[in-house]
Amino acid sequence: MDILKNSYLDEELEAVKKQGFLDYRTSQLPTWCPGCGYFGITHAIVQTCNDLQLKKEEVCVVSGIGCAGRYPIFMDVYGFHTVHGRSLPIAAGIKLSREELTVFAVAGDGDALGIGGGHLPHTIRRNVDITLFLFDNSIYGLTKGQTSPTTPLNQATNSHLKGNPDTPLKPVSLALAYGASFVARCYAGDVDGMKDVFRQAITHKGFSFIHIVTPCVTFDKTNITWGRLNGTVEPIEPVHDQTSFESALRLAEIPRLITGIFYQDKKRPSYMEIIRETQS
Amino acid sequence: MADVDIVIEICGSAGDGTISSGEILSRFMSSQGFEIMSFDSYPSEIRGFGKCVAHSRISNKKVLSPGKYTDILIALNNAHAISQLHTLRETGIVIFDNKPPNYLEEDQSIAGWIEPGMISYGIPLLNLSQKASGSARGRNMVALGALAAIFGIDGEQMKSAIHARYAKKNKVVIDSNINSFAEGFTWAQQHVTKVDSYTFGHSKPKPSKEKKAIINGNQAVAQAAIDSGLHLYAGYPITPATKIMEIVSRELPKKGGVMVQTEDEISAIGHVIGAGYAGKRAMTATSGPGFCLMSELANLAVMAEVPAVLVNSQRGGPSTGLPTRNEQSDLNIALFGGSGDSPRIVLAPTSVNECYTCTTLAFYLAEKYQTLVIILLDFFLSNSIRNITTPVPPKANQLNSNVAPTKTALKDYKRYKLTKNGISPRAIPGTPGGMCISTGLEHSEHGHPRYDRNTHPAMTEKRFNKIQGALSEAPKPRWVGPKKNVDIGVIAWGSTAGSAHEAVLNARKEGINVAFMSTVILSPFPVKEIKKFSEACSRILVPELNYTGQFANVLSPHLSRSIERLNMVTGLPISAEDILEKIRDMAR
Amino acid sequence: MPKKDHYVIIGNGPAGNSAADAFRANDKDARVTIISDEAFSFFYRHKLPQFVAGNIGEDDLKVRPYSVYKEQNIRLRLGQCVDRIDPEEKILYLRHMEKVGYTKLVIATGGSPRILPSLTSFEKHLRFMTGYNNAIKLMPEIQKAKTITILGGDLISFELVKALRTMKKKIFFIFYSKCFWPVELTGNMSAKICANMKKKNIEAYADDTVETLTEKGNLYTLKTASGRTFKSDLVCCFLGLVPNIGYIIGSGIDTERGVLVNEFMQTNYKDIYACGDCAQIYDPKLKDYWISIGWSNAGLQGKIAAMNLLGSSKVVKPLPKSIRDVVGIKIQTSWWDHF
Repeated sequence: MDILKNSYLDEELEAVKKQGFLDYRTSQLPTWCPGCGYFGITHAIVQTCNDLQLKKEEVCVVSGIGCAGRYPIFMDVYGFHTVHGRSLPIAAGIKLSREELTVFAVAGDGDALGIGGGHLPHTIRRNVDITLFLFDNSIYGLTKGQTSPTTPLNQATNSHLKGNPDTPLKPVSLALAYGASFVARCYAGDVDGMKDVFRQAITHKGFSFIHIVTPCVTFDKTNITWGRLNGTVEPIEPVHDQTSFESALRLAEIPRLITGIFYQDKKRPSYMEIIRETQS
Repeated sequence: MADVDIVIEICGSAGDGTISSGEILSRFMSSQGFEIMSFDSYPSEIRGFGKCVAHSRISNKKVLSPGKYTDILIALNNAHAISQLHTLRETGIVIFDNKPPNYLEEDQSIAGWIEPGMISYGIPLLNLSQKASGSARGRNMVALGALAAIFGIDGEQMKSAIHARYAKKNKVVIDSNINSFAEGFTWAQQHVTKVDSYTFGHSKPKPSKEKKAIINGNQAVAQAAIDSGLHLYAGYPITPATKIMEIVSRELPKKGGVMVQTEDEISAIGHVIGAGYAGKRAMTATSGPGFCLMSELANLAVMAEVPAVLVNSQRGGPSTGLPTRNEQSDLNIALFGGSGDSPRIVLAPTSVNECYTCTTLAFYLAEKYQTLVIILLDFFLSNSIRNITTPVPPKANQLNSNVAPTKTALKDYKRYKLTKNGISPRAIPGTPGGMCISTGLEHSEHGHPRYDRNTHPAMTEKRFNKIQGALSEAPKPRWVGPKKNVDIGVIAWGSTAGSAHEAVLNARKEGINVAFMSTVILSPFPVKEIKKFSEACSRILVPELNYTGQFANVLSPHLSRSIERLNMVTGLPISAEDILEKIRDMAR
Repeated sequence: MPKKDHYVIIGNGPAGNSAADAFRANDKDARVTIISDEAFSFFYRHKLPQFVAGNIGEDDLKVRPYSVYKEQNIRLRLGQCVDRIDPEEKILYLRHMEKVGYTKLVIATGGSPRILPSLTSFEKHLRFMTGYNNAIKLMPEIQKAKTITILGGDLISFELVKALRTMKKKIFFIFYSKCFWPVELTGNMSAKICANMKKKNIEAYADDTVETLTEKGNLYTLKTASGRTFKSDLVCCFLGLVPNIGYIIGSGIDTERGVLVNEFMQTNYKDIYACGDCAQIYDPKLKDYWISIGWSNAGLQGKIAAMNLLGSSKVVKPLPKSIRDVVGIKIQTSWWDHF
């Protein structure tokens, strides 16, 4: 039995290896909790990289601090694990220096919307050609379960035992309001859905904002769980006009787990395009 | 040749053309072969009716400091000039408008405030300006004309200089400036009885053949950065560093570079680190409050070993402090700011010329040693205008100092390899095989997070050791005066060094046995040279512009003798006179 | 709080300075200001010739250092000219367009150079030396000149001749015994002077009227009634002083040759007094006005004016009609013998 099982796995592994996406992974094993949504996101990102046949040495992944911050350690590209909240400026600095690089910024909800929240509107309005993967598990996981900027109202956390008194932010609405040229939401349980969005986000010329909703299996066992999320996922209808800001905003304000591309402005020039045109 | 060493201050309101007339004067006198040290101060609060002062020391000898006392004060605005009178020498001269449109109330004219011994020359600035140009805007030029006539400056040549200054403007502007100048010149020739003995006339030095650049510290830094291959500048407006951003934003795009005005200082240093990580040269410039915001990311550059050049033009602190005043009180944060044991390279130029050389050196060192390099300027140095020999841009080998990994090394690439000199060859993104993780966590040679008992000590030591190499690549400390048996040794840094140097030279003329040392590299610290100097001196004096003696405190553990201090926090540059007075006191 | 009294003195000579001192000595709190169009400190006028000749320096000229004023809290406004007095509003209008208010005013502006009617048409060719301002202007011209004509005179003209001799200049000295200031010279005196001068190689002539004075290429040609012609590089004129009151005329303050004051030195305005060389003082016994001359008189009058302004009523003693012996220099000792 053992032998059989192993050979089955070997075959499986060979098949997976052939697909190529494992090349984008390092030998480092992720430190996330078993069952964490971040595994799925990682899987979707490396698969997309593989699908797009990005050269590993030409991909830079910049992260901040938190569970999501660890992400670059597990990817065999140029990874930069920086400090809390600052992945966007650093990623922008890289892209503005080396346009040929594909630059990802990875940030958790605390990272991107809390401590680093001030950088979001400005990176958006400069339309720097990078992709922000916002891993939103609505909790501070690495510090063991405190309230984050997207923790639902009244949810009990380790910093608010009697319930969170702060109204949570709405990341997609914010990104739209800030004027992002690409705004999408994904669900960490839907790898195919993520891949589809990621591919379009990475190839989008300009700043791409991807809000990825995921449970924290360790510190939120009641509210945002796999079980609950699975039941509410609602992909955007194909009839939705991605070029309409108003429709996008209306959609974003619906308090359900609506996924897909809300808005995309393909005509808007990226920061470097503007710089080249106007400054020199 | 008689010594000429005259300090002229033009004082007016914003809009009086104070700074531009000061600039014309400085440029012209420089073209005449004089040494110049100028300094403009202007209101930080609002554009409006704030006080502007263009201070200019003009000499046919080498100028090391701005000069504490003014010899000639040109008052374009009575109230502001009155508040500037306290710096006028006891025998100084005031040029003022003696024909304002209406009678002024008692004590509202500067003429009423002139102390006996001072001399005032009343010139109908407004009337002459209106006569020459039909407006009041030529008052500054009328004043310059009178100045030229009274103090033996060649009027015709200066006219050409004014013409050159406004060459790009339309004819009306050129004519009204020239005519106003001529009107002031002629009027003063005919009506002013000279009763003072100041003159530039008899001692015109030979104009030097070498090409001179007339720039301030900020301009020198910006120019040096661009000459050093700057690709990205990110910054947030803050006095007194803003000008660097403005210059760079004008010049950098021409070279294909990018200037980003970020949302805050954190983002600025973030962009710089990103660019440095991507293998491009990048810089930000700020002042104390912004520097505080940057300190976390500055530490990331140290830990993740990413090149970053950070200019801090110091002003009075703490907090918002004194935005338009001078202080050298960010030394502590520059050397030690941030969490943990955080070695970094700190350079502090002592002159405008060194603002250039330190900046080119900073880029070279940051890239080679893969770390944070801080350039400490101060309000005075940023704004102090000198005519310097046109600086030589860095050579090609200085433009790329990154130590790249060999092909063999890339087979099992260790981003943070422990090497003898501490420099781990750095693969720039885009290098096949160089993929790795850079991190602000303590890490193994491969860059993987490690908190074990062996890694942190080894890596900490590596980070401290590697920057030691910078010591041999930075200029050696400057030693002026005898090499042994010195009574008093003065050690200075930053913009204070010029005044200290001048004070030491003057003290030596008075027969005091004194020597001078300054160093531009403050971290790593040139212990050997400073120790040698201190051992040659019986007593050590450290003058600096902070309350606690931050530099003296750094020096202290390395010296076997106690340090005497001259600490000033008046917000003004320390003057050669102040230091000389202290040296005299010590010698008594 | 009532505004502090402001005692203003126009003039920085002996009268003005002693008035200021007296004000300060008797009122510690008031503001005391001296305004003078001379840019230089209170100086000894009789030393100007030696200064112009370069024999003494500025410091030798000064009566007292500026620090004294600082210590006394007396404000010295030097190089500032009063254009107009408004005695009703009690405001002085200065030439550089500043208004200065006063509560009490002492006019002590001394004298300005006297020009004989016969000379007025040549005024632009003449050099004067009544104060530091024109002395410093004259200095380089004197250094340069080889030949100098001096129209005398007064005592200072003699001092200048003496100083110029040390500079080895060629000097023509024409003096007017009748207009000699402050004393008339007798024929005997004039002859003595001429003789003495000749011994010293100076051409001196008494009472020869100037007919013409022309200038060509910085060379001055002076022709006299007696037919003499003098060619020189410079013509200096010393005919004493007349009260310096031009700026007062029309202000409402009574003037004649000088500012008219009563025996208490008070003008027709109760808060304005005048003293020294610019004042014309009424003597109730003589029933006439007299003009005071000389350093020590001026000083005394200044003090009296100040004291009276502060409430006392000291009377100035009229001087003898013949003022020969009050000049401060002992005229009767035929001092020119020692020339």
